[in-house]
Amino acid sequence: MSRNNRGAILYLLPTAILFIVFYYWPLVQNLYLSFFSWNMVSPTLKYVGLENFASVLQSSELLKILLNTCVFLLIMLVLNFILPYFYAYILGHLVHHWTSFYRSALFLPATLSLAVASILFLWIYNPLAGPLSIILGWADLDSPRWFKENYLVIFAICTIIGWKVFGYNLIIMLAAMVAVPREMIEAAKLENASNWVIFKKIILPMTSSTAIYVFTITIVFGLQYVLVPVNMLTQGGPNQGSSNLVYIIYQYAFVFFQTGKAAAYAVLTMVCYALFLYVKNKYLEKKVYYEN
Amino acid sequence: MKTNFSKEIIWHGLLWLAVVVMLWPVVFMLSTSFKDLNQVFTATLNPLPWPPTLNNYLLVLEDFPLLTYIWNTLKIAVGVTLFKVGTSILAAFAFVYYSFRYKEIVFNSMLLTFFIPITVLIMPNYLLMSQLGLLNTTLGVMLPGLVDGMGIFLMRQTMRSIPKALLEAAVLDGAGPWQVLTRVVLPLIKPSVFSIGILFFINSWNEYFWPLLVLQDKANYTLPLALQMFISAEGGSEWGIAMAVATLTSLPPLLLYGFCQKFIINTFMQAGVKG
Repeated sequence: MSRNNRGAILYLLPTAILFIVFYYWPLVQNLYLSFFSWNMVSPTLKYVGLENFASVLQSSELLKILLNTCVFLLIMLVLNFILPYFYAYILGHLVHHWTSFYRSALFLPATLSLAVASILFLWIYNPLAGPLSIILGWADLDSPRWFKENYLVIFAICTIIGWKVFGYNLIIMLAAMVAVPREMIEAAKLENASNWVIFKKIILPMTSSTAIYVFTITIVFGLQYVLVPVNMLTQGGPNQGSSNLVYIIYQYAFVFFQTGKAAAYAVLTMVCYALFLYVKNKYLEKKVYYEN
Repeated sequence: MKTNFSKEIIWHGLLWLAVVVMLWPVVFMLSTSFKDLNQVFTATLNPLPWPPTLNNYLLVLEDFPLLTYIWNTLKIAVGVTLFKVGTSILAAFAFVYYSFRYKEIVFNSMLLTFFIPITVLIMPNYLLMSQLGLLNTTLGVMLPGLVDGMGIFLMRQTMRSIPKALLEAAVLDGAGPWQVLTRVVLPLIKPSVFSIGILFFINSWNEYFWPLLVLQDKANYTLPLALQMFISAEGGSEWGIAMAVATLTSLPPLLLYGFCQKFIINTFMQAGVKG
């Protein structure tokens, strides 16, 4: 509307300053710190060149961390992307009663703190007396030690995230579902198309832009949500079995006090994220239907 | 609309299954918070503890500075919400009202911050706070949270829904940008501002990770941090008390959601469709 650079700057200034100081400057500082060996307390930083990166990239720990991260992502994609996708279809097109009740009920956990969710599920998963162990007991099953076994711990943590995020992603998908023109679906029904065919041929292509958005936030935010239960319940354990690319940065910085390796991991994580977003924009977005 | 209910029954079954999975933990949290130590273990699955007891709540109130925690959390959440709504409105207005060079780049670079993982930021931000002497202070917790890429995006979406003609008419009447914002734009998007504010409040109220690093002194803890204290290594037996604190932590978000769920869900449904 108005062509006035100076005016715009005035309105953008507070935001821009805060973003630069607390979001962009830290990225630069991470890069800087990754070339030094430091423990956060000592007054001097020791320059070590690329040593931090070398030791991170050569460690067997990195492999485990990457593997864990993939397992986290796979489970979360099922719980927070695929499942809400189908449920949004059911809620948006296959049922016609009580829909607002379902919507409200399913969204409710999204309003609660992950700290609350973590402590709730710690009790639910308690292997000795927790409710799930009692229910498993009915089927004569012993409750596993959910937070103490490799991979099981990742699954358990992902269910906490799933519980919290499912409704949020469902609502976003639902918005895309109800935007699909009803006439199209009615027309397909007249030709006796099954629900599955309608889903595949109409819903899937018409909701793909939102689906990619949910896919992206599931991956990008998923790993961040995981931080809370991991830190509260396992601290990355057992034996780094629930640590991941995002949590390990925190561990090196605030548990092991090795800022150099923390920064190296941070740089590495940022590169992974940037690569992911780049690939997403370049390849996925091209195949997508946008309404406008 | 004519629909055959029996044909839908399987879908209703699946939806109910999801509803039970989603709500059961909440019901369970509430009921356990009213159980005494004995009931926690003998009537674990019973959702209606009988007789219900308030002991857990009384105990926490007595043994822990719970009111201080509530006050700490509230202070931060209100401050962050007000400020963040402010910065988001100002920035979104700049993007809607002005056209300037590199607009897209500036907008995208603000939106991108949304995708930076928090642990990438915490170490440099922690060091900065420590240099500024803001560790262990409310301000230190609040500062990095005073802007939000998502907030700017949501505000811009709502402001875009205002017909351009309205803004142009105001300009023709001699209104400057500030008047356009305060007299035309804001009154029209009040409901959205309100619901985005609620979302900010809930998010800030629930926040755990950054406050955990900044607030080292237990007296400054927020409620989500206080929850950590009830996790002893092997869980222990204080589940009733832990659930009482969890319930208190959840109460404000639940109440806000209860009263404003239409608002909240609609904001998400509008924002979800990408623009």
